[in-house]
Amino acid sequence: MGPWGYVFLAYGIVWGAIVVYFILLKGRYRRAENELSRLRAGEDARIDGPK
Amino acid sequence: MENMEKGGKSRGKILGGLTLLTIVVGLYWGLIVAPPDAYQGDTQRIMYLHIPSILIAYLSFFLVFVGSCLYLWKREKRDDILAFSAAEIGVLFTALTIVEGSIWGRPTWGVWWTWDARLTLTAILLLIFVGYLMLRSLIEEESRAASSAAILGIIGFLDIPLIHMSVYWWRTLHQMPSILRPDKSPWENIHPALLTALAINFVAFVLLYFYLLSLRYRVGDMTEEIKTRRMNRGG
Repeated sequence: MGPWGYVFLAYGIVWGAIVVYFILLKGRYRRAENELSRLRAGEDARIDGPK
Repeated sequence: MENMEKGGKSRGKILGGLTLLTIVVGLYWGLIVAPPDAYQGDTQRIMYLHIPSILIAYLSFFLVFVGSCLYLWKREKRDDILAFSAAEIGVLFTALTIVEGSIWGRPTWGVWWTWDARLTLTAILLLIFVGYLMLRSLIEEESRAASSAAILGIIGFLDIPLIHMSVYWWRTLHQMPSILRPDKSPWENIHPALLTALAINFVAFVLLYFYLLSLRYRVGDMTEEIKTRRMNRGG
């Protein structure tokens, strides 16, 4: 492998891993956000009660 | 509350945009603008990833140390969330540092790995914090998991001064520090053209780190709120 081969291998692995982590973290964020708004909406409905 | 969340989201978007822009500039500078090193040639460009990665890992584990000390002292959940979030990202950047170093080591030293003091201590750091993450999932009782992890986080951080000083204390294959060196400033060690590329990439990594940390902290915070609300509902 030439010098640029090592450079691209390192850059590819690093940025690939960071992008994968970012996508997974965004997924966890969205799931938590959806779950929280579902719970908040449920509680609001209970507090307001039937009109 | 809703306004605060909206404000947080727009700040996150600004930080995200700025991070992306700096990463692109850093890649352009590191791969195209910066000249090849006089001795190592183009493989030296791995330095623009390697040094920022390990400095981010150090910063991360410093935050684990601070968060852990504060948690053991005040028992506030936000400190534990900070330590947990920083540990997770710190593990990622430590693993990447080892991978980059290995790829850089092959053409420079002729080996992918050697049991050099600095490399071995960095591998130990990674193992300690992988253990930290495992510990959190293995202990069911939350406050006990947080306290045990905090103690391990504090002990784990103590490996960082050893890693830094290892090149002075033992005869190692790894070179002396280029940036964090008490006797010389970075511009005396590195040519300005290479130092500029390194500085831009370092700023990009710092911005990326705080962007990821804010996102990860928010996930931890929301998870805690979900648990509390579920408990209050009795389910």
